[in-house]
Amino acid sequence: MRRRDLLARGALYTVLGLGLLVVVGPFLWAVLSSMKPEAEIRRIPATWWPEVFTLGNYRELLSRLDFPQAFANSAIVAVLTTLGNLAFCSLLGYALAKLRFPGKRALFLVVLGTLMVPSMVTFVPQFVMVSNLGLVNSYGGLILPFLATPFGVFLMRQYLLSIPDELIEAARVDGAGELRIFARVVMPLCGPALATLTILTFLASWNNFLWPLVVATTEDRYTLPVALALYSVGQNRIDYGLVLAGAVAVLLPVVIVFVLLQRHFLRGIATTGLK
Amino acid sequence: MTRHRRLGTAAMLAAVLVLGACGRDSGGGGDAAQPVAEGKATGEITVWAMGTEGEKLGAFAQEFMAENPDAKVNVTAVPWDAAHQKIASAIAGRQTPDVSMLGSTWMGEFAKTGALDPTPEGVDRGAFFPGAWDTTVVDGTSYGVPWYVETRLIYYRKDLAAKAGVSAPTTWDELKSFATAMRDKGGAKWGMNLQPGGTGSWQSFMPFAWSNGADLTEGDAFTLDSPQMTEALAYYQSFFTEKLSPPTDLSLQGALEQSFVNGSLAAFISGPWHVSLLNEQGGAGFADKFAVAAMPRKQSATSFVGGSDLAVFKDAGNRDGAWKFVSWLSRPEVQIKWYQTVSDLPAVQGAWSDPALSGDPILATFGEQLKDAKSPPAIPTWEQVAAVIDGEVEKVAKSNADPAATARTMQQRASGIGTGA
Repeated sequence: MRRRDLLARGALYTVLGLGLLVVVGPFLWAVLSSMKPEAEIRRIPATWWPEVFTLGNYRELLSRLDFPQAFANSAIVAVLTTLGNLAFCSLLGYALAKLRFPGKRALFLVVLGTLMVPSMVTFVPQFVMVSNLGLVNSYGGLILPFLATPFGVFLMRQYLLSIPDELIEAARVDGAGELRIFARVVMPLCGPALATLTILTFLASWNNFLWPLVVATTEDRYTLPVALALYSVGQNRIDYGLVLAGAVAVLLPVVIVFVLLQRHFLRGIATTGLK
Repeated sequence: MTRHRRLGTAAMLAAVLVLGACGRDSGGGGDAAQPVAEGKATGEITVWAMGTEGEKLGAFAQEFMAENPDAKVNVTAVPWDAAHQKIASAIAGRQTPDVSMLGSTWMGEFAKTGALDPTPEGVDRGAFFPGAWDTTVVDGTSYGVPWYVETRLIYYRKDLAAKAGVSAPTTWDELKSFATAMRDKGGAKWGMNLQPGGTGSWQSFMPFAWSNGADLTEGDAFTLDSPQMTEALAYYQSFFTEKLSPPTDLSLQGALEQSFVNGSLAAFISGPWHVSLLNEQGGAGFADKFAVAAMPRKQSATSFVGGSDLAVFKDAGNRDGAWKFVSWLSRPEVQIKWYQTVSDLPAVQGAWSDPALSGDPILATFGEQLKDAKSPPAIPTWEQVAAVIDGEVEKVAKSNADPAATARTMQQRASGIGTGA
């Protein structure tokens, strides 16, 4: 009996280990290869451990682009976008889940409907609107269009549905106003959903490439992915060393955010049953 | 313009073009070129440029500012990756800079939005390579000037050629026997790499079509099913059926340079950027092992000319300053200096007499080839038509499709898209 357990466990770990290798392998290769010279990266068959270890790619990256500025732009945009989503998506999600008002169903359908429209379709009209507002090349233009997302609203609504009405009614009987109920009773129960929303929004904003590229018209407004694309991909050649070093530089903050929030994140996924 | 520039979806482009065309007089044809004021440039000139050009142009323009003390050039570097989309959106949102670098095959599309300012009188078209100048001309009006050029040559291994007892091919027949000898006697696995389809393979195929007297359009109609085109397709196909060219795209796998360096590939067609790539990856001494040769002759020996143009936008806040900056960049001595700064080949013919260019055998070959080099017609639908050609070339190369039938399909699909006229 015990032996069989051990065997089963061994098999399980083998399968999991293989899965891990498939998922982490390319990532690991990218990190290791970012420390190889260009010729070694392109070599076939590829090498794992760098034969010649160099930080040249990172040095070139740092010397050719204004890394602190691009990093700061990315951080400002990602943090403000995330805060906006946390505030607006939870407010609208609460209204759609728990309040009774005329047109609620229609409003929810509109939110769901916008979720179906591919972003490519709205891209140019959105840019024209931002341009008419005079927000081109400003943080406003980079952040405003993403302050609330239909997906975030949907996520919050679904989670809020699971919160018992009795709690809210009890608070109402005690004389609390709607905003007070929202802030003091409902939000503290939404930790996992908020953590999920934080990670998803932060990731999307941090990795966004096309919008900041088009809206930022001077280099001092470029976010990290845009600034990194500047020098690594040429018209006729790709500098793989710079691409990989850049990818690692963009990835690190996201990994840190994920590690910090992962406990909540995993719980959020389990309990909302979404994504 | 080449493979690594990724375009957005066609739907998005269509939206941009429609939006761009709204509320403006339609471009092309009727545009009249306005003169540029005399005297020195003044005020702020905003410039967008891609990649290395964008990185280096700011410092390079110091000299222009020294000549024109009241002018200030502000350069924004734009990543190549999505430059097309950025410019298209900027036109739609009327947020264009004064001057922008534009890929030479984008001119038709952007000129048709009506956003580009026609080239003023007084710009000497004869100073530029004719093939490069043609990229700026849309419906008979020029909308910019060529900035730098590139063209395609045959790169081959000198040592393998010596072993095989062949010299650089000058005709189509010689190219075939050259590739065969490289494989059978030179010891290479593949005698000659031609791109077997995929994005940008039209740039690899069209030189053969042009050299055979075929043309893409006549007036507003495509001429993709001409006998000359069919013959060129059949010739291109024979390299694959005779196992001279690899059936998979080596450059997509990042294996082109390595195969050439280790001798399994004896020759390929590419532009000037491959000189430095090969020297980097081949290591010391490899520079002596390869050489370049002009495209082989059939009726002509025509190659593809690419590169970038400089265009001024109609919405430019500083139009006069913008054109003055553009014409400064077109001076032969400035073009030579620019070559020395970023290795861009000059679009101005006068710059090529400088020993920095004419003294180098590889560069001199590029300079010779540029005199017989063509670009596709500057039509707004070009990128879509190019995708059709790419797809059909792939069928010819990989699945042995009949060249005549393929030419007919190409013609049919391209006509369905239209020339946008």
